[in-house]
Amino acid sequence: MSKRIVVDPVTRIEGHLRIEAEISDGRIKDAYSSGTMVRLLEEILRGRDPRDAWAFVGRVCGVCTSIHSLTSVRTVEDALGIVIPPNAELVRNIMDCALFMHDHVVHFYHLHAMDWVDVVNALKADPKKTSEIAQSISHWPKSSPGYFSDLQARIKKFVDSGQLGIFSNGYWGHPAYKLPAEINLIGLAHYLEALEWQKEIVKVQAIFGGKNPHPNYLVGGMACSIGLDDVSGINAERLALVEQLLHEGKTFIEQVYLPDLKAIASYYKDWGAIGGGLGNYMVYGDLPFNGYRDPASYKFPSGVILNKDLSKVLDVDLRKDDEVQEFVTHSWYDYAEGDQKGLHPWVGESKVRYTGPKPPFQFLDTEQKYSYIKTPRWKGHAMEVGPLARVLVGYARGREEYKEAVDGLLKDLDVPVTALFSTLGRTAARGLEASLVSRWGLDFYYQLISNIKSGDTRMANMEKFNPDTWPAKALGVGHAEAPRGALAHWINIDSGRIANYQLVVPTTWNASPRDASGQLSAYESALIGTPVIDENQPLEILRTVHSFDPCLACAVH
Amino acid sequence: MKKKYLHIHRLRRVYVWELPVRFYHWLNAASIIALIITGFYIANPLALVSHQEAAFRYTTGWVRFIHFAAAYIFFFNFLFRIYWGFVGNKYAGWKQFIPTSKRFFREMWQVFKIDILMLKGKEYMSVGHNAMAGLIYFFTFIAFGIQCLTGFGLYSVTSRWWLPRLFAWVPSVLGGESMTRQIHHWTMWFFILFVVIHVYLVFYHDYIEGRGEMSSMGGGWKFIEEEAFIKDHNDEL
Amino acid sequence: MQQPTYYEEVLRKGYSRRDFLKFATMMAAFMGLEGTAIGQVAKALETRRRLPVIWLHFQECTCCSESFIRSSHPIVADILLDQISLDYTETLMAASGFQAEAAMRDTIKRYNGEYILCVEGSVPMEADGVYCMIGGKTAMQVLEEAAEGAKAIIAWGSCACSGCVQAAKPNPTSATPIHKLVKGKPIIKVPGCPPIGEVMAGVIVHLVTFDRIPELDNLGRPKAFYSKRVHDTCYRRPFYDAGLYVESFDDENAKKGYCLYKMGCKGPVTYNACGVTKWNGGTSFPIQSGHGCIGCSEENYWDNGRLYERASSFAGFGIESTADKIGAIALGATTAALLGHAVMTNVRKHKMIYDLEEEGRADEQQLNAEP
Ligand code: HEM
Ligand code: HEM
Ligand code: NFV
Ligand code: SF4
Ligand code: SF4
Ligand code: F3S
Ligand SMILES: [Mg+2]
Repeated sequence: MSKRIVVDPVTRIEGHLRIEAEISDGRIKDAYSSGTMVRLLEEILRGRDPRDAWAFVGRVCGVCTSIHSLTSVRTVEDALGIVIPPNAELVRNIMDCALFMHDHVVHFYHLHAMDWVDVVNALKADPKKTSEIAQSISHWPKSSPGYFSDLQARIKKFVDSGQLGIFSNGYWGHPAYKLPAEINLIGLAHYLEALEWQKEIVKVQAIFGGKNPHPNYLVGGMACSIGLDDVSGINAERLALVEQLLHEGKTFIEQVYLPDLKAIASYYKDWGAIGGGLGNYMVYGDLPFNGYRDPASYKFPSGVILNKDLSKVLDVDLRKDDEVQEFVTHSWYDYAEGDQKGLHPWVGESKVRYTGPKPPFQFLDTEQKYSYIKTPRWKGHAMEVGPLARVLVGYARGREEYKEAVDGLLKDLDVPVTALFSTLGRTAARGLEASLVSRWGLDFYYQLISNIKSGDTRMANMEKFNPDTWPAKALGVGHAEAPRGALAHWINIDSGRIANYQLVVPTTWNASPRDASGQLSAYESALIGTPVIDENQPLEILRTVHSFDPCLACAVH
Repeated sequence: MKKKYLHIHRLRRVYVWELPVRFYHWLNAASIIALIITGFYIANPLALVSHQEAAFRYTTGWVRFIHFAAAYIFFFNFLFRIYWGFVGNKYAGWKQFIPTSKRFFREMWQVFKIDILMLKGKEYMSVGHNAMAGLIYFFTFIAFGIQCLTGFGLYSVTSRWWLPRLFAWVPSVLGGESMTRQIHHWTMWFFILFVVIHVYLVFYHDYIEGRGEMSSMGGGWKFIEEEAFIKDHNDEL
Repeated sequence: MQQPTYYEEVLRKGYSRRDFLKFATMMAAFMGLEGTAIGQVAKALETRRRLPVIWLHFQECTCCSESFIRSSHPIVADILLDQISLDYTETLMAASGFQAEAAMRDTIKRYNGEYILCVEGSVPMEADGVYCMIGGKTAMQVLEEAAEGAKAIIAWGSCACSGCVQAAKPNPTSATPIHKLVKGKPIIKVPGCPPIGEVMAGVIVHLVTFDRIPELDNLGRPKAFYSKRVHDTCYRRPFYDAGLYVESFDDENAKKGYCLYKMGCKGPVTYNACGVTKWNGGTSFPIQSGHGCIGCSEENYWDNGRLYERASSFAGFGIESTADKIGAIALGATTAALLGHAVMTNVRKHKMIYDLEEEGRADEQQLNAEP
């Protein structure tokens, strides 16, 4: 007997995700992932000035804010043949590193942690013991018994008020929670500390981009001029603030995030065998040390791994019309030439047509179209993208930094490398990546300083900013690695205006419905086989889905 | 054929534009020209790459000041003209501008035939403005109104005086200040085109009709054919 | 400071718990509730300290939630633990699925007329609302249910206030702002894409501290944060007044921090607190970092012209057709027409003179003579 359960809204994610799962004998037999909100920004972009596109697509998402804007300016620069000054590359990288640090930490503590940490159980912890554990795993100074008992008292008062706020109706006490009360208390303490910390690291983006969320970008470079001898520009004071923030961020990740991750993971090693899914991983590559046009200098190397085979990494070409394609067989869109065909994004279409049940409804008709997310494929393969993909590709490419980080973690947890192909692997890879990125952020920063020192203060190349200098027609593609994975935008410019603009986004890859040939995408395939102890409290579904860090506004746009 | 021109009219000197109208006219012309020049600068400031400190310059500030000063003059002058439309002589009256009678339309058709298509027709109907000119001035007055509404609407936020504050509602009705500014800017082009055509037509009428149109806005007198004057007089009765 | 609960208040005044329960019974009777509800009333009076809040998400990008958690005074942990009870928000709440929906229903019932409804995002009205669905219901259905018993509504961000990016032309989903859908409730609009975190926190704190809605302007925005234009509080304003402008990004003038007006800065037409409150704990704001304001707190700012142009362009007239270009063309055409007219007029006048001469008159001087 199988039973269909629905999780909608899936919370602690960005956007509107619905999961329907067939459960039999305590395991998920089949799963359906549906994105239930659409805005059609690709349609809205038609006819607009390509230089403005970054602002529109920036609003695709306020969580991975800035990454779409970055990808957009790269896309337009690609179409128009604009090469930006090295300082602008470095500033973009530094902002990107700040985004990763922010997004990964917020995901771990605020979106994912409550799948593993039982908040209410933290009240039972012994503050003294908690302090001992905290001090044994990290140098982080906020770890005295008094600190933890104060916190506990505050939470007790909160719980006693009867108003549980964001914690109400959680699955507290669920048997799948395995942490000792003391670790739960540490998790809760760092939930609050991370909430305070996260608002600091984004100041890096505010310094160069004016605000966060949604900092400003510029086709041709960055708008923040270097003005060492002026109070208005990027000067020594601004740069010192950037450096300090990056240092603090790195410290937080190394002394709080990573130790917590390892401590929590060590109680959930069984999840190293759950939620693996596809086994196909794809990375477009990003964080160039020597300019976007030199992929060899990328800190995130690009490549494709098929069937968990780490011995072979394939190359990706975003311009080839038979590599990346999007299907709408199970998505609420119509293609002019029929819904069985895949379209390369340069000729992509976004004509929406809802054919699902009339709301309010109980179940989707998953035999038919059942999502606003399109289904992207690489050479016909379903792909998982994200931190795990990046860590695996870096590892498989033999990059030293990756090997060191991955092997270290595997040793600490005492698990084999195959444990990475899992829900736990995804969550762990994110932490490793955060720590790598926090180091690179400073590397980019020092590179910027040495550039300025050598007299190069250029920040934007405005030669081709004026539309009069553009060719009548131009095609462009730009890519980035977003916190959630491989991201690319495609543009078709005609007479100075956008004729077509298409985004294929990490969560589009991961959360999409099945394709024309019935292949599942990453979420659906990872859910299959996941145990569910209590159908009324599907905590395990959240664990696996959250391990991808879903962003539905991104996925559908 | 030739006979037609044998009817040469006796001309009569008519005091058409009273002093207040003439005064209004030139003040209006001067303030509008100032508003166009300064408005154009506000929209497209010149590139002044100067080594002077900002503290010693106030270029845009002065331009804006002139714009606002001219705006006040323009505004009160306009109010005065509306008032004079009710108390002035009949050539200044509001009926000159608003098509209320069949005669108004007939005359517009005449003017169109004669002045634009350059056909022959029954001439010299009016003494003050012709009907076509009257209607165009009516549109011009509407444009004055738009410019005052949008201008003071934009100005209101920077002012504490109650008068501009009366217009504070305008931007919100028009969908924000951005749209208000756009409308204000587009309307400027109406004025530029109006001035060019208007000045041309004054020359034209003087040239072709010989009624002293050019100087009439100076001295107030026009030279009107006896019949036209009498007919105009009787029509009004 | 925190308001004491009714229960604390009662105890402080020297009454016993028995008295308190009696009072609660009386209250329940007064409110026309059944006996079973007395316990609930007592509980509500006993424990009501934090303002219950339901925070809905519709067509949005969650940047408003993200901005909110970046508030530096007060920090959000304190707001969540001490000031409000955020009983429903898809971004942060522990519960998912029907437990999440139950949490919302619970608050709607228990705090009828007392809770604050925050809305992030617009509501799509096209195709019967299917472009945004939560728990199998349309956004509109969810909104109606939650708005009914709300004490007041806060519309967060430009999405909820005016539709923001998804409402940009051609607004394919008919993204609709909240004030057009809910009538008869006070609505506080807090526009911006996103609004400044401290501004959002400030609005909440105002509600909690003073137990009333902050004073709003004629567009429904809190006067405290939206009564001045960015231009009027911008530190580059002296350069604007002096006539010193950035002519191209990263030029000499940009390095000197001149005014960004000619780079399309929308500060002169944008009401927001950026110049004073600034962003991210006062770190910077768009103009300070060299980019013009894009007007993100203004209605329909996506269709108020392009980012890097001051004047909006016209579709169908080619890419660079601003009002000035069209005006200049019209002026050229008018001048040409007038020249043509002048030539014709001359011909006509010569013919006139010729005809008159044909009649035997020597020149124009004789025209006025009696025949
Ligand atoms: C014939 C009449 C007028 C013309 C042709 C005119 C023209 C203009 C133009 C072209 C602009 C620049 C718009 C832009 O940003 O592109 C402007 C700005 C402005 N005008 Fe006028 N204007 C007129 C009357 C008025 C009046 C009556 C007022 C009333 C106070 C006014 C107040 C303003 C204000 C406040 C601005 C914005 C200036 C700033 O904030 O720097 N204008 N005008
Ligand atoms: C900025 C330039 C000017 C503007 C805005 C302007 C505006 C106007 C307006 C609004 C009227 C209607 C007057 C009324 O009855 O209230 C008018 C009438 C008149 N204007 Fe002007 N004017 C301008 C320049 C001139 C010039 C340069 C001349 C002559 C040399 C002139 C001669 C006249 C005459 C003769 C009339 C009476 C017109 C008729 O009956 O058709 N104007 N003008
Ligand atoms: N998926 C996604 Fe994003 C990310 N990371 C996009 O590019 O989250 Ni909003
Ligand atoms: S207002 Fe802007 S920032 Fe807020 S949700 Fe909408 S698009 Fe995002
Ligand atoms: S930078 Fe923008 S807001 Fe600041 S003074 Fe210049 S135009 Fe105004
Ligand atoms: S773009 Fe928005 S953030 Fe402020 S400076 Fe302008 S209102
Ligand atoms: Mg797309």
